[in-house]
Amino acid sequence: MEAETIKLLAAGLAMGLGAIGPGIGIGILGLGAMNALGRNPEARGPIMTNMILAIAFAEAIAIYALVVAVVLIFVA
Amino acid sequence: MPKRGFLGRSSPILIGVLLVILVLFLVSLLSGALGSSLFGDLGLPSWLSVPQPHPELPAGVVFHLLGFPITNSIIAAWLSIIVLVGVSYAVTRRLKLIPTRVQSMLESALGWLLNFCQDVAGKENGRRFFPVVATIFLFVITNAWLSLIPGFGSILITNAEGEVVELFRGANTDINLPLALALISFIFVEYWGIKSVGLFRYLRKFINTGRFFGAIGQIFRGKVKAGLVGLSNGVIDIFVGALEALSELVRIVSFTFRLFGNMTGGEILLLMMLFLVPFILAIPFYGLELLIGFVQALIFAGLTLVFATIAVAPHTVEAA
Repeated sequence: MEAETIKLLAAGLAMGLGAIGPGIGIGILGLGAMNALGRNPEARGPIMTNMILAIAFAEAIAIYALVVAVVLIFVA
Repeated sequence: MPKRGFLGRSSPILIGVLLVILVLFLVSLLSGALGSSLFGDLGLPSWLSVPQPHPELPAGVVFHLLGFPITNSIIAAWLSIIVLVGVSYAVTRRLKLIPTRVQSMLESALGWLLNFCQDVAGKENGRRFFPVVATIFLFVITNAWLSLIPGFGSILITNAEGEVVELFRGANTDINLPLALALISFIFVEYWGIKSVGLFRYLRKFINTGRFFGAIGQIFRGKVKAGLVGLSNGVIDIFVGALEALSELVRIVSFTFRLFGNMTGGEILLLMMLFLVPFILAIPFYGLELLIGFVQALIFAGLTLVFATIAVAPHTVEAA
C-alpha cells in the first residue's frame, strides 16, 4: 500500500478509536448527573456546573485524537 | 385582516416561507458535492458550485513588520482587541445610575462572571482572580464568535510574495494563541500560589524531601525499623511531588490542545459542511459552533480558576 492510503486509513482509525473512550466517559458523567439531579433537584446549579467542567475534561481527550487525525491528513 | 395562523402570521406567508426554504434546500442539494455525486453534472452556473476547501494549519502571512511575519490570525486577534476595548470605552463614557440597555447588558455579563469566580473560589479570592479570568473568558469568546460572522474569512488579499491569502482567520485556530493563553494562565496560577502561601511552602509541595531525610536521620540515630519505614514513605513522597510538578507542566499542553483542537475542528467541520450541501446543512453546525465557542471560553477560564483555587489553598497539616 502506498503512503497516501495508509495516511488516510491512520487518520480514520485515530479519530474513530479515539472517540470510544470519551464517548463512554461522557455518558457515565451524564448518568451520574441525572442520578444526582433526581435525588436532589434543588442542587441543580452546582451539579450542572461540575458536570460541564468534567465533560470538558473528557472531551479534551477526543480533541487530542482529532488533532492527530487532522495533522495526519493535512500536514504529514 | 390576515387569519391568525402559525406563530401569529397569516397562513399564506407561512406557506411562502416554507416554499423558499424548500427551494433553497433543493438548490443546495443539487449544487453541492453531495448532489453532483448523486445526480451527475447538471450544468448549473459556476457561481453556485463551491470549490473544495483546503484548510491549512499554519496561518498565512499577510505582511512583515520589523522582521516579524504578521499572520491573518494576529490581525483577527487585533480586531477582537479593538472590538472589546472600543465597546468598553464607548459604554463607560457616560455611565448612568439607571443604566441604558447596552450598559445593563454589559453589567449583567460582568456580574455573571464575578458570581462565577466567587462561587468557585470564595469571596475575596474570587474578587482577586476576577480580572485575569474574566479577560481570558472575554478574549476567547470574542475570538471565537467574531470568526463566525459571515464573510469573515472571505476577504482576500495578495501578500508580498504574490499568493492570495485571507485577511482574517479565527484567532483561536492558530496554535500560538492558545499556547500564549495557557502560558499566561500557568504563570498567574504559580504567582498567586507563591504570593498566598510563600515561596518555600509552595515549592515544598513539589520537592517533598522532608520525610526522606528525616528517615535517614532516624536510621543513624539507631531506630532502624522506623527509619526504614520512613525511608520508603519518603521515596513515595518524592515521587508524588515530582508527579505533581509534571502534571502542572502538562496542564499547559492540555489547555493549548483543548482550545486549539475545538476551534480548528469546528472550522474544518463548517468548511466541509458548506462544501457538501452549501446553504442548508451548515445551519445546525453553526449553532453548534456558537455553543462550543462559549463553552470552550468558559472551560479555559473556569479551569484557570479551579487550579488557582487549589494553588492558594492553605497547606494541609501532614500527619507526623
